[in-house]
This record gives sequence, structure tokens and C-alpha cells, in this order.
Amino acid sequence: MTATHSATKKKPVVKTVVFGAITAALYAAVFSHADSILQLFTKGGYYAALPIATVFVFSFAHGAFASNLWSMLGIEAITKQPAKRPEVRPVPRPAQRPRPRVRLSV
Amino acid sequence: MHDLALEGLKFIDLTWMNIGFLFVVGFVGGLVSGFIGSGGAFVLTPGMMSLGVPAAVAVASNMCHKFPKAMVGAYKRYKYGQVDLKLGLVMAASATVGVQAGIKIQEMILAKWGEAGSNLYVSLSFVTVLIIVGGYVFYDAWKTHKSGAGEQVSSLALRLQKINLPPMIHFKTAGLTISLWFTIPVGFATGMLAATIAVGGFVGVPGMIYVIGATGLISSATELVIAFLMGLGGSVKWAIHGMVDIRLTLIILAGSLLGVQLGAIGTTYVKEHMIKVVMGTIMIVVAVSRALAVPKYLEELGLVSMSKSTISILDLVSFLIMCLALAVGAVIILGSMWKGRLAAEPHAAPIVTESYEHV
Repeated sequence: MTATHSATKKKPVVKTVVFGAITAALYAAVFSHADSILQLFTKGGYYAALPIATVFVFSFAHGAFASNLWSMLGIEAITKQPAKRPEVRPVPRPAQRPRPRVRLSV
Repeated sequence: MHDLALEGLKFIDLTWMNIGFLFVVGFVGGLVSGFIGSGGAFVLTPGMMSLGVPAAVAVASNMCHKFPKAMVGAYKRYKYGQVDLKLGLVMAASATVGVQAGIKIQEMILAKWGEAGSNLYVSLSFVTVLIIVGGYVFYDAWKTHKSGAGEQVSSLALRLQKINLPPMIHFKTAGLTISLWFTIPVGFATGMLAATIAVGGFVGVPGMIYVIGATGLISSATELVIAFLMGLGGSVKWAIHGMVDIRLTLIILAGSLLGVQLGAIGTTYVKEHMIKVVMGTIMIVVAVSRALAVPKYLEELGLVSMSKSTISILDLVSFLIMCLALAVGAVIILGSMWKGRLAAEPHAAPIVTESYEHV
């Protein structure tokens, strides 16, 4: 993100281009056959696996592209650990006293 | 399996205008989700319906984009050490039961008062929950901002954490130990709200903050795990009925995966209470929007009389205010990110290179 950082760290140009190309190819593949894909994917039943698997594949490719794109543009997370709070310990239960037992011999 | 509901089901023709609208709303919704853990769904479903998409297809396609978006957001925020996986799993388990209860209530209302009654119940739930919870979240954020101190654990959470009611669960990332019995109602309410207004996070995140005692940062990140698990289950159900329009899902996903990562990055730039500010603001604006939809359902139930033109104006204003809610959230996020970036500039050190090979 910073100027110092930009100077020292290589921007992920190649990764962005590769994942961008994969994402574009996936989108082109789906939208060039949109009607037949839509018909197949909405058959229901076991065909439900198709849209679910598709979004996972797209998430992988497009997610990687988006991540590298933001890095390439210099937008990255800054190191900041979430603030730790002092933990509250539960109050221990009082130990149970032994109960008096009455034995009756008949 | 071939679903009878599919007979005559209409999948819309896509125009560049539709594509642009879905991409932009997907991006903004993703940005908000990445930052506060939920959001976007409340605009996308009515937005798609306004484009002519049937309600069931709109809900299904929206849900099918929601779970991969939440997964990518959760993964990103997990890398920043903000996700409590155990808390997410525990919450998601009880939320699943809450969803079933929510559906049952909806079915009962639908059977008794019809569609208008059901819509009225949804809108009233929206208004009541969002005004009370959103108002408190916003008030708390304002108090934190004014005092200048960091976020404090709520007194309710502190009291509950002290009660030793087995089984006690330790949540390492959240840094707290609490009885399972206190997490169940929060998860249950999250699921019920998700089944009612489709945005369970509006109760889940405040619940994790004020009842369980996690920070806003951890709660919003953990909410993404819950959204992923619940969204995956819901999507499979809808897909089995053949309701997912994959074209719509993929267009929204194109925008939302860019947005969700930007939102996740944004959480590392801003002060923790900003998550509450954004969440509270969005909730209050959405509540106003839903309040404007109430007269329409009252008219449909014959409880009030109104002209058609007034109702259509109220409908339009309600939708525009809902879009405004998302836009306001996005502006606050981007603005505070910009400020945070400028403040961190001289000594900022970015997190080590991230690789998304396993997304």
C-alpha cells in the first residue's frame, strides 16, 4: 500500500493477468451457451450440483483475480491484530457438600 | 427430478442495462458484506424482481451468489485473524433450527392471512427489529466515538460470561468463554430473521457483540461463516427445485467478489467502531424504507384505503431508499478507508503476500 512497500514488493501483475484470463474464459464459456446451460442447470434434482459446482469454480478463479487486482492497485490490508479483551472467567460453582444418608435396617 | 413449479417459469432476457445494474449492486453489496458481514441481499432480491425476475428465481439466484461471496470474504478475513471458526459453526448450527422455525411461522401466517398478511409481517419485523437493534448499535458506536476509548464489552455479555452453566465453550479468536446455552438463542434468532427478512446478520452480528461479548470486528467476520453455511444449504434446496438462474448469479458474483474483498481489506484500515456505525446506519435507513411499504399491505388487507398512485409512489420511494441504504454504507466504508489509509501511510506495513490458490 505504501510507497516503501511498492518499491520493495513486486506487484502481482502476472497472477492478475492469468487469473483474469481464466475468469474471462469461464464467463465467455457460460454466456456463449447461456440458453442451453440455463436449461440444463434448472432441471432440478441431481442437476442441482451443476450450479453449485459452477459458483465454486468461478469463486476460485474470480476470487483469485480480484485479490491480485486489489494488490496490484496497491490496496492491501495493513497489519493490525484484532484487540484482545481480558477474558472473564466464569465463577466456579461451590463444591457440593456430602448429603447426610439415613440407613434403615428392617 | 422435474419440478412442477418450473412449468411456465420465466427466465428474463438480459440487456446491458440489467447486467450493469446487477454488477454494480453486486459490487456495493459485496463491499458492505465484506465490511459488516451481511447486506446487499435486501436490495438484490427486490432489484431483480423489478427487472421482471420471478420472486422465487430472484431469491434463489441471490442466495446462490451469497454463499460463495461469504466464503471468499470469510477466507480473506480469516487470514487477518478476525474469524472465530468455532463460534461461526456453533452459531450456524442453532441458526439452522431458527430458519426452520421462521419458515413455519411464515407458513402459518400465509395460511391464515394470505400473501398480503405475510408481506405485512415481514415488513413489520423489518421495521421493529431494525429500529430497535440498529438504533442501539448506532447509539453504542456514537458513544464509543465520543468517549474516544476502545470498544467495551457489554455488561450483559460480561454477566453471562460469568455464569458457569455447562457445557462452557472457549472461543479462542474471540477470546471469551461462555455457556453454549447463551449462544443458542443468538444463533436461533439469526436463523429466524434470515428466514423472515433474508438478512440474519442484522441480528447475528449485534447478538455476538452484545450477548456473547465478541468485538465488532470478530462478530462481523464470523457472520460471514454463518452466511456461507446457511447460504450453501439454502442454495442446494433452491437448485434442487431448479430455481437458480446461473446467469444472474454469475453477474452478481462478478461484482460482489471484487466488493467483498475490498470490504474485508477495509476492516484493517478503520477504527473498530466504524463497523457498528455502518451497520447501524444501514439498518435505520432500511427500516425507513420498509416502513414506507407497510401502507400497501394494510391496503391489500382492507385495513386502510389508499389510491393506486399513492401506493406506487410509496413503493418506488421505498425501493430507492433501500438502494440509498446500501449507497450510504458504501460511502462511509470507502470514506473511512480513505481516512484510515492516509493515517496509516507513514508506518503501514502490509500483511504478507496472500495467495488465493485455495479459495
